[in-house]
Amino acid sequence: MSTETPASAEPSRQPALPALDPVIHAQPRLRVTVTLATLADGDQITFPRLQELAGMTAGNLATHLRKLEDAGYVRVTKAYRSRTPVTWLSLTTAGRLALEEYAAALRTLLASARPGSGSAASKEWSEGTSPSAFIPPNIRQEHIDG
Amino acid sequence: MDDLNALGPPQPVAAGEELAPQELLELIRTQHEAAARDLYVDPARILVSWGVAWTLGFGAFYFASPRARWHFLPLWAAAAVLVTLSAVAVAGVVTQMARRGRGVQGPSRTVGARYGWSWLLAFAGVFALNIGLSQHGLPASLAPLLWPGSAAVVAGVLYLAGGVLFADRVQYGLGAWMLAVGAGSVQAGWPANFAVLALAGGGGFLAAAVFILARARRARPQP
Repeated sequence: MSTETPASAEPSRQPALPALDPVIHAQPRLRVTVTLATLADGDQITFPRLQELAGMTAGNLATHLRKLEDAGYVRVTKAYRSRTPVTWLSLTTAGRLALEEYAAALRTLLASARPGSGSAASKEWSEGTSPSAFIPPNIRQEHIDG
Repeated sequence: MDDLNALGPPQPVAAGEELAPQELLELIRTQHEAAARDLYVDPARILVSWGVAWTLGFGAFYFASPRARWHFLPLWAAAAVLVTLSAVAVAGVVTQMARRGRGVQGPSRTVGARYGWSWLLAFAGVFALNIGLSQHGLPASLAPLLWPGSAAVVAGVLYLAGGVLFADRVQYGLGAWMLAVGAGSVQAGWPANFAVLALAGGGGFLAAAVFILARARRARPQP
Protein backbone atom coordinates (compact mmCIF):
# COMPACT_ATOMS: atom_id res chain seq x y z
CA MET A 1 0.00 0.00 0.00
CA SER A 2 1.76 3.16 -1.15
CA THR A 3 1.03 6.29 0.78
CA GLU A 4 4.02 8.04 -0.76
CA THR A 5 3.89 9.57 -4.16
CA PRO A 6 6.76 8.76 -6.48
CA ALA A 7 7.76 12.40 -6.37
CA SER A 8 8.39 12.40 -2.63
CA ALA A 9 10.54 9.29 -2.94
CA GLU A 10 13.10 11.19 -4.99
CA PRO A 11 16.29 12.10 -3.18
CA SER A 12 15.97 15.70 -4.35
CA ARG A 13 15.58 18.30 -1.61
CA GLN A 14 12.63 19.90 -3.35
CA PRO A 15 10.40 17.18 -4.73
CA ALA A 16 8.03 17.95 -7.58
CA LEU A 17 4.58 18.74 -6.24
CA PRO A 18 2.09 15.98 -6.90
CA ALA A 19 -0.81 16.65 -9.23
CA LEU A 20 -4.28 16.46 -7.69
CA ASP A 21 -6.79 14.16 -9.36
CA PRO A 22 -9.22 16.58 -11.09
CA VAL A 23 -12.09 14.09 -10.79
CA ILE A 24 -11.95 14.12 -6.99
CA HIS A 25 -10.63 17.67 -6.67
CA ALA A 26 -14.10 19.19 -6.61
CA GLN A 27 -15.75 19.49 -3.23
CA PRO A 28 -19.03 17.72 -4.04
CA ARG A 29 -17.28 14.78 -5.68
CA LEU A 30 -14.78 14.60 -2.83
CA ARG A 31 -17.69 14.41 -0.38
CA VAL A 32 -19.37 11.66 -2.39
CA THR A 33 -16.14 9.67 -2.74
CA VAL A 34 -15.33 9.91 0.97
CA THR A 35 -18.87 8.91 1.91
CA LEU A 36 -18.75 5.87 -0.37
CA ALA A 37 -15.31 4.98 0.99
CA THR A 38 -16.83 4.85 4.47
CA LEU A 39 -18.90 1.85 3.41
CA ALA A 40 -17.39 -1.56 4.08
CA ASP A 41 -15.78 -3.33 1.15
CA GLY A 42 -18.45 -4.85 -1.07
CA ASP A 43 -21.32 -2.86 0.44
CA GLN A 44 -23.63 -0.75 -1.70
CA ILE A 45 -25.84 2.23 -0.87
CA THR A 46 -29.04 3.58 -2.40
CA PHE A 47 -29.15 6.95 -4.13
CA PRO A 48 -31.43 8.65 -1.55
CA ARG A 49 -29.34 7.47 1.41
CA LEU A 50 -26.12 8.67 -0.23
CA GLN A 51 -27.84 11.97 -0.95
CA GLU A 52 -28.70 12.28 2.72
CA LEU A 53 -25.19 11.40 3.92
CA ALA A 54 -23.45 13.69 1.44
CA GLY A 55 -25.94 16.51 2.00
CA MET A 56 -26.61 17.20 -1.68
CA THR A 57 -29.62 17.75 -3.88
CA ALA A 58 -30.69 14.88 -6.12
CA GLY A 59 -29.80 16.71 -9.32
CA ASN A 60 -26.42 17.78 -8.02
CA LEU A 61 -25.60 14.29 -6.80
CA ALA A 62 -26.68 12.69 -10.10
CA THR A 63 -24.44 15.06 -12.06
CA HIS A 64 -21.38 14.34 -9.96
CA LEU A 65 -22.06 10.62 -9.80
CA ARG A 66 -22.07 10.50 -13.59
CA LYS A 67 -18.61 12.07 -13.66
CA LEU A 68 -17.35 9.65 -11.04
CA GLU A 69 -18.87 6.74 -12.95
CA ASP A 70 -17.28 7.93 -16.22
CA ALA A 71 -13.91 8.01 -14.44
CA GLY A 72 -14.45 4.42 -13.31
CA TYR A 73 -14.50 5.40 -9.63
CA VAL A 74 -18.13 4.57 -8.90
CA ARG A 75 -20.12 1.48 -9.79
CA VAL A 76 -23.82 2.01 -10.50
CA THR A 77 -26.10 -1.02 -10.29
CA LYS A 78 -29.77 -0.79 -11.19
CA ALA A 79 -32.01 -3.33 -9.52
CA TYR A 80 -35.61 -3.87 -8.55
CA ARG A 81 -36.87 -4.23 -5.01
CA SER A 82 -40.52 -5.28 -4.96
CA ARG A 83 -41.10 -3.78 -8.44
CA THR A 84 -39.54 -0.43 -7.46
CA PRO A 85 -36.32 0.45 -9.24
CA VAL A 86 -33.38 0.92 -6.88
CA THR A 87 -30.01 2.39 -7.81
CA TRP A 88 -27.17 0.87 -5.81
CA LEU A 89 -23.90 2.77 -5.64
CA SER A 90 -20.46 1.74 -4.51
CA LEU A 91 -16.85 2.78 -4.89
CA THR A 92 -14.72 0.73 -7.27
CA THR A 93 -11.21 -0.38 -6.33
CA ALA A 94 -9.92 2.34 -8.63
CA GLY A 95 -12.08 4.89 -6.81
CA ARG A 96 -10.82 3.83 -3.39
CA LEU A 97 -7.23 3.97 -4.64
CA ALA A 98 -7.80 7.38 -6.23
CA LEU A 99 -9.04 8.77 -2.92
CA GLU A 100 -6.04 7.35 -1.05
CA GLU A 101 -3.67 8.84 -3.59
CA TYR A 102 -5.51 12.16 -3.47
CA ALA A 103 -5.19 12.31 0.32
CA ALA A 104 -1.50 11.35 0.07
CA ALA A 105 -0.94 14.11 -2.50
CA LEU A 106 -2.61 16.63 -0.18
CA ARG A 107 -0.32 15.61 2.65
CA THR A 108 2.70 15.99 0.40
CA LEU A 109 1.52 19.46 -0.59
CA LEU A 110 0.93 20.36 3.04
CA ALA A 111 4.39 19.17 4.06
CA SER A 112 6.06 21.10 1.23
CA ALA A 113 4.08 24.24 2.07
CA ARG A 114 5.65 24.42 5.51
CA PRO A 115 8.92 22.53 5.45
CA GLY A 116 10.61 21.62 8.70
CA SER A 117 8.02 22.65 11.22
CA GLY A 118 5.23 21.24 9.09
CA SER A 119 6.48 17.70 9.23
CA ALA A 120 5.00 16.98 12.64
CA ALA A 121 1.57 18.18 11.60
CA SER A 122 1.68 16.23 8.37
CA LYS A 123 2.63 13.11 10.26
CA GLU A 124 -0.45 13.47 12.43
CA TRP A 125 -2.53 13.96 9.36
CA SER A 126 -1.13 10.90 7.73
CA GLU A 127 -2.15 8.92 10.80
CA GLY A 128 -5.60 10.45 10.85
CA THR A 129 -6.36 9.88 7.20
CA SER A 130 -4.25 6.85 6.39
CA PRO A 131 -5.88 4.27 4.12
CA SER A 132 -7.04 2.31 7.15
CA ALA A 133 -9.09 5.35 8.16
CA PHE A 134 -11.32 4.63 5.20
CA ILE A 135 -12.13 1.21 6.48
CA PRO A 136 -15.23 1.35 8.66
CA PRO A 137 -14.45 1.09 12.37
CA ASN A 138 -16.39 -2.06 12.98
CA ILE A 139 -15.24 -4.01 9.92
CA ARG A 140 -11.51 -3.85 10.18
CA GLN A 141 -10.00 -7.19 9.43
CA GLU A 142 -12.50 -9.86 8.76
CA HIS A 143 -13.99 -10.76 5.47
CA ILE A 144 -16.72 -13.28 5.74
CA ASP A 145 -18.06 -14.73 2.54
CA GLY A 146 -21.75 -14.01 2.60
CA MET B 1 -11.91 19.92 16.04
CA ASP B 2 -12.10 23.69 16.39
CA ASP B 3 -13.26 24.22 12.84
CA LEU B 4 -15.49 21.20 12.49
CA ASN B 5 -18.34 23.36 11.29
CA ALA B 6 -16.21 26.00 9.63
CA LEU B 7 -16.61 24.30 6.29
CA GLY B 8 -20.33 24.81 6.50
CA PRO B 9 -22.88 23.03 4.37
CA PRO B 10 -21.78 21.37 1.15
CA GLN B 11 -21.08 23.82 -1.63
CA PRO B 12 -23.41 23.60 -4.61
CA VAL B 13 -20.56 24.37 -7.01
CA ALA B 14 -17.24 22.65 -7.59
CA ALA B 15 -15.29 24.74 -5.15
CA GLY B 16 -12.46 22.33 -4.40
CA GLU B 17 -9.93 24.56 -6.11
CA GLU B 18 -10.50 27.29 -3.55
CA LEU B 19 -9.59 25.18 -0.54
CA ALA B 20 -6.09 24.75 0.79
CA PRO B 21 -4.69 21.21 1.21
CA GLN B 22 -5.22 21.39 4.96
CA GLU B 23 -8.87 22.36 4.50
CA LEU B 24 -9.38 19.56 2.01
CA LEU B 25 -7.86 17.03 4.40
CA GLU B 26 -10.11 18.42 7.11
CA LEU B 27 -13.10 18.00 4.80
CA ILE B 28 -12.11 14.38 4.12
CA ARG B 29 -11.80 13.69 7.82
CA THR B 30 -15.03 15.38 8.92
CA GLN B 31 -17.07 13.90 6.08
CA HIS B 32 -15.66 10.44 6.83
CA GLU B 33 -16.43 10.79 10.53
CA ALA B 34 -19.93 12.12 9.91
CA ALA B 35 -20.74 9.33 7.45
CA ALA B 36 -19.34 6.67 9.80
CA ARG B 37 -21.44 8.07 12.66
CA ASP B 38 -24.57 7.81 10.52
CA LEU B 39 -23.79 4.42 8.99
CA TYR B 40 -22.57 2.35 11.93
CA VAL B 41 -24.10 1.48 15.27
CA ASP B 42 -22.64 3.20 18.30
CA PRO B 43 -21.29 0.36 20.49
CA ALA B 44 -20.80 2.65 23.49
CA ARG B 45 -24.48 3.56 23.56
CA ILE B 46 -25.49 -0.11 23.38
CA LEU B 47 -23.07 -1.04 26.16
CA VAL B 48 -24.35 1.76 28.40
CA SER B 49 -27.96 0.63 27.97
CA TRP B 50 -27.01 -2.94 28.92
CA GLY B 51 -24.84 -1.72 31.79
CA VAL B 52 -27.80 0.19 33.21
CA ALA B 53 -30.13 -2.79 32.70
CA TRP B 54 -27.77 -5.18 34.49
CA THR B 55 -26.85 -2.85 37.33
CA LEU B 56 -30.40 -1.79 38.17
CA GLY B 57 -32.12 -5.02 37.11
CA PHE B 58 -29.94 -7.45 39.04
CA GLY B 59 -29.51 -4.89 41.79
CA ALA B 60 -33.29 -4.92 42.17
CA PHE B 61 -33.25 -8.73 42.34
CA TYR B 62 -30.73 -8.53 45.15
CA PHE B 63 -32.96 -6.18 47.12
CA ALA B 64 -35.90 -8.49 46.42
CA SER B 65 -34.14 -11.54 47.91
CA PRO B 66 -35.45 -12.40 51.40
CA ARG B 67 -32.00 -13.36 52.67
CA ALA B 68 -30.27 -10.24 51.37
CA ARG B 69 -28.85 -7.79 53.88
CA TRP B 70 -31.29 -5.16 52.63
CA HIS B 71 -34.60 -6.62 51.55
CA PHE B 72 -37.30 -4.13 50.67
CA LEU B 73 -38.47 -4.89 47.10
CA PRO B 74 -41.17 -7.37 46.06
CA LEU B 75 -39.99 -9.94 43.52
CA TRP B 76 -42.42 -8.72 40.85
CA ALA B 77 -40.93 -5.21 41.06
CA ALA B 78 -37.41 -6.56 40.51
CA ALA B 79 -38.60 -8.63 37.54
CA ALA B 80 -40.38 -5.58 36.13
CA VAL B 81 -37.20 -3.47 36.37
CA LEU B 82 -35.01 -6.10 34.68
CA VAL B 83 -37.51 -6.92 31.93
CA THR B 84 -38.30 -3.28 31.19
CA LEU B 85 -34.67 -2.14 31.04
CA SER B 86 -33.68 -5.17 28.94
CA ALA B 87 -36.52 -4.43 26.54
CA VAL B 88 -35.33 -0.82 26.28
CA ALA B 89 -31.79 -2.03 25.54
CA VAL B 90 -32.97 -4.50 22.88
CA ALA B 91 -35.20 -1.87 21.28
CA GLY B 92 -32.25 0.53 21.22
CA VAL B 93 -30.06 -1.99 19.40
CA VAL B 94 -32.76 -2.90 16.89
CA THR B 95 -33.71 0.70 16.07
CA GLN B 96 -30.06 1.73 15.77
CA MET B 97 -29.33 -1.14 13.39
CA ALA B 98 -32.44 -0.46 11.33
CA ARG B 99 -31.92 3.29 11.17
CA ARG B 100 -28.23 3.24 10.34
CA GLY B 101 -28.47 0.31 7.97
CA ARG B 102 -31.14 2.04 5.89
CA GLY B 103 -30.40 1.92 2.16
CA VAL B 104 -27.26 -0.17 2.55
CA GLN B 105 -26.75 -3.76 1.44
CA GLY B 106 -23.75 -6.02 1.24
CA PRO B 107 -21.47 -8.36 3.19
CA SER B 108 -21.19 -6.16 6.29
CA ARG B 109 -24.98 -6.03 6.66
CA THR B 110 -25.20 -9.79 6.29
CA VAL B 111 -22.57 -10.26 8.98
CA GLY B 112 -24.32 -7.77 11.28
CA ALA B 113 -27.72 -9.40 10.83
CA ARG B 114 -26.32 -12.88 11.46
CA TYR B 115 -24.57 -11.65 14.57
CA GLY B 116 -27.81 -10.09 15.81
CA TRP B 117 -29.76 -13.30 15.21
CA SER B 118 -27.00 -15.22 17.02
CA TRP B 119 -27.95 -13.42 20.22
CA LEU B 120 -31.58 -14.42 19.88
CA LEU B 121 -30.76 -18.03 18.99
CA ALA B 122 -28.16 -18.43 21.73
CA PHE B 123 -30.42 -17.09 24.46
CA ALA B 124 -33.38 -19.13 23.20
CA GLY B 125 -31.15 -22.21 23.31
CA VAL B 126 -29.82 -21.72 26.82
CA PHE B 127 -33.19 -20.73 28.26
CA ALA B 128 -34.78 -23.82 26.69
CA LEU B 129 -32.02 -25.84 28.32
CA ASN B 130 -32.73 -24.22 31.71
CA ILE B 131 -36.45 -24.97 31.39
CA GLY B 132 -35.61 -28.54 30.52
CA LEU B 133 -33.44 -28.89 33.62
CA SER B 134 -36.27 -27.60 35.82
CA GLN B 135 -38.67 -30.07 34.22
CA HIS B 136 -36.27 -32.87 35.04
CA GLY B 137 -36.14 -32.08 38.73
CA LEU B 138 -33.60 -29.30 39.14
CA PRO B 139 -34.42 -27.80 42.56
CA ALA B 140 -36.28 -24.50 42.28
CA SER B 141 -33.80 -22.97 44.72
CA LEU B 142 -31.10 -23.22 42.03
CA ALA B 143 -33.08 -21.25 39.43
CA PRO B 144 -31.92 -17.81 40.70
CA LEU B 145 -28.33 -19.03 40.27
CA LEU B 146 -28.78 -20.87 36.97
CA TRP B 147 -30.76 -18.36 34.91
CA PRO B 148 -28.73 -15.16 35.31
CA GLY B 149 -25.42 -17.08 35.52
CA SER B 150 -26.04 -18.91 32.25
CA ALA B 151 -27.22 -15.65 30.65
CA ALA B 152 -23.93 -13.99 31.63
CA VAL B 153 -21.89 -16.88 30.20
CA VAL B 154 -23.84 -16.82 26.91
CA ALA B 155 -23.41 -13.05 26.67
CA GLY B 156 -19.71 -13.58 27.34
CA VAL B 157 -19.35 -16.11 24.53
CA LEU B 158 -21.21 -13.81 22.13
CA TYR B 159 -18.99 -10.86 23.02
CA LEU B 160 -15.94 -13.06 22.43
CA ALA B 161 -17.39 -13.83 18.99
CA GLY B 162 -18.11 -10.13 18.41
CA GLY B 163 -14.54 -9.29 19.34
CA VAL B 164 -13.26 -11.77 16.75
CA LEU B 165 -15.80 -10.77 14.10
CA PHE B 166 -15.21 -7.03 14.29
CA ALA B 167 -11.54 -7.21 15.34
CA ASP B 168 -12.44 -5.35 18.53
CA ARG B 169 -10.23 -5.91 21.57
CA VAL B 170 -12.66 -4.22 23.95
CA GLN B 171 -15.54 -6.51 22.98
CA TYR B 172 -13.28 -9.55 23.30
CA GLY B 173 -12.11 -8.44 26.73
CA LEU B 174 -15.71 -7.83 27.80
CA GLY B 175 -16.56 -11.37 26.64
CA ALA B 176 -13.83 -12.89 28.79
CA TRP B 177 -14.91 -10.74 31.73
CA MET B 178 -18.57 -11.79 31.40
CA LEU B 179 -17.56 -15.47 31.46
CA ALA B 180 -15.83 -14.80 34.77
CA VAL B 181 -18.85 -12.84 36.02
CA GLY B 182 -21.25 -15.66 35.13
CA ALA B 183 -19.11 -18.34 36.77
CA GLY B 184 -18.28 -16.12 39.74
CA SER B 185 -21.92 -15.27 40.37
CA VAL B 186 -22.80 -18.94 40.81
CA GLN B 187 -19.76 -19.42 43.07
CA ALA B 188 -20.97 -16.53 45.23
CA GLY B 189 -24.28 -18.29 45.86
CA TRP B 190 -27.74 -16.81 46.32
CA PRO B 191 -28.43 -13.92 46.90
CA ALA B 192 -24.86 -12.57 46.62
CA ASN B 193 -24.87 -13.69 42.97
CA PHE B 194 -27.20 -10.78 42.15
CA ALA B 195 -24.72 -8.33 43.67
CA VAL B 196 -21.93 -9.85 41.53
CA LEU B 197 -24.06 -9.59 38.38
CA ALA B 198 -25.12 -6.02 39.14
CA LEU B 199 -21.71 -4.66 40.12
CA ALA B 200 -19.19 -6.72 38.13
CA GLY B 201 -21.54 -7.50 35.23
CA GLY B 202 -23.21 -4.11 34.84
CA GLY B 203 -19.93 -2.41 35.72
CA GLY B 204 -18.18 -4.44 33.02
CA PHE B 205 -20.54 -3.11 30.35
CA LEU B 206 -20.07 0.46 31.55
CA ALA B 207 -16.28 0.09 31.72
CA ALA B 208 -16.25 -1.29 28.15
CA ALA B 209 -18.25 1.75 27.00
CA VAL B 210 -15.71 4.06 28.66
CA PHE B 211 -12.82 2.19 26.96
CA ILE B 212 -14.49 2.56 23.56
CA LEU B 213 -15.13 6.28 24.05
CA ALA B 214 -11.55 6.84 25.20
CA ARG B 215 -10.24 4.91 22.19
CA ALA B 216 -12.33 7.00 19.80
CA ARG B 217 -10.97 10.17 21.38
CA ARG B 218 -7.37 8.96 21.08
CA ALA B 219 -7.82 8.01 17.42
CA ARG B 220 -8.86 11.53 16.50
CA PRO B 221 -5.88 13.57 15.22
CA GLN B 222 -5.14 16.85 16.94
CA PRO B 223 -4.62 19.46 14.21
